Amino acid sequence: MALRMWASSTANALKLSSSASKSHLLPAFSISRCFSSVLEGLKYATSHEWVKHDGSVATIGITDHAQDHLGEVVFVELPEEKSAVSKEKNFGAVESVKATSEILSPISGEVIEVNTKLTDSPGLINSSPYEDGWMIKVKPSNPAELETLMGPKEYTKFCEEEDAAH
Amino acid sequence: MIMDDLQKMRSPRTLEVWKLGTVNYLKSLKLEDKLVSDRKANRIPDTLLSLQHPPTYTLGKRRTDHNLLIPEAELKGLGAELHYTQRGGDITFHGPHHAILYPIISLRSIGIGARNYVETLERSMIEFASVYRVKARAGHKGETGVWVGDRKIGAIGVRISSGITSHGLAFNIDPDLKYFEHIVPCGIADKEVTSLRRETDTMLLHSEEMMMLCGRKILHSFWTTRRRSIKTNSPSGLTRFNPV
Repeated sequence: MALRMWASSTANALKLSSSASKSHLLPAFSISRCFSSVLEGLKYATSHEWVKHDGSVATIGITDHAQDHLGEVVFVELPEEKSAVSKEKNFGAVESVKATSEILSPISGEVIEVNTKLTDSPGLINSSPYEDGWMIKVKPSNPAELETLMGPKEYTKFCEEEDAAH
Repeated sequence: MIMDDLQKMRSPRTLEVWKLGTVNYLKSLKLEDKLVSDRKANRIPDTLLSLQHPPTYTLGKRRTDHNLLIPEAELKGLGAELHYTQRGGDITFHGPHHAILYPIISLRSIGIGARNYVETLERSMIEFASVYRVKARAGHKGETGVWVGDRKIGAIGVRISSGITSHGLAFNIDPDLKYFEHIVPCGIADKEVTSLRRETDTMLLHSEEMMMLCGRKILHSFWTTRRRSIKTNSPSGLTRFNPV
């Protein structure tokens, strides 16, 4: 339900029409170099996590760019509800191609919900990084931290520069 | 802005290679943790550890100990240790004549992710095997590693923490393959494990030289188009050489 509302508010922001039955999100623009999508309305960390701040809840996941660079995710380790997360500190890990990669929290707060679907379906992170592949929901302890994150345009540029260094 | 970018791309990248000989597994884990922390703080350059372990079984983050086929007490009877780690991948064995390379490098500073990094490690082992006329290939989907036909010759298990790598690869030069009978190696049943000794008639160099050659292939794979300087730490002191 929340996603559908988010989708239509995103669509409104982009001056596009949306029907109530559609729940897929529309990418704001693509990074044509690596075909990753970046969405409007989200904030981004340099470690490639995204945050969607909605009132007193912040949803966190990893970006399309991140999942593409990881490869197929086969295992996800997430924190427990009520545990604390801190900005730029690791809260979990994903395993792909025999590599475990730590996931860093873009903000500090308390974990209020964890996406348990990822235990049986870790591949959701690859197929739906911004929707079904969300990882944790957090009650932010310091909303000012959101201001230090990048917006979509900044993040797109950041990805391009990072890939260009290769 | 453009000049700055060009400067960044042209400036030489240093890789420090540490030749450590045989190292107890826990000691090497402690060393890796320290080096990861130092690399993250930019106190050290990218570093490559080249070593062997005494007989050691290790498990990855998923703790797949159902792939250990004998009780831990029996392992000790064989003179082997068992360790649980934070790396990716399943159960494996390391022992003498098993070349281990642990690159402690900043993936962020070269702008690649886990998938590209692991593919580079695979390619390096394939190139190394080809020096001995052994035709190796990367694994099929879900079987990361290096294979000769259906026999596994090289394994990968990596940890990436704040963009810094640790653990790495293990290549079977001439280990005692009997140790692999007590596990389902890498969680893949019905597939054999092999070694360079088994696959080639070419005379093999001393282990140390083999491992350095393997290390060079990794450097070559990572940095073929850029100027690189590499320093080696060995008992006789620092040696500087150019990557092949």
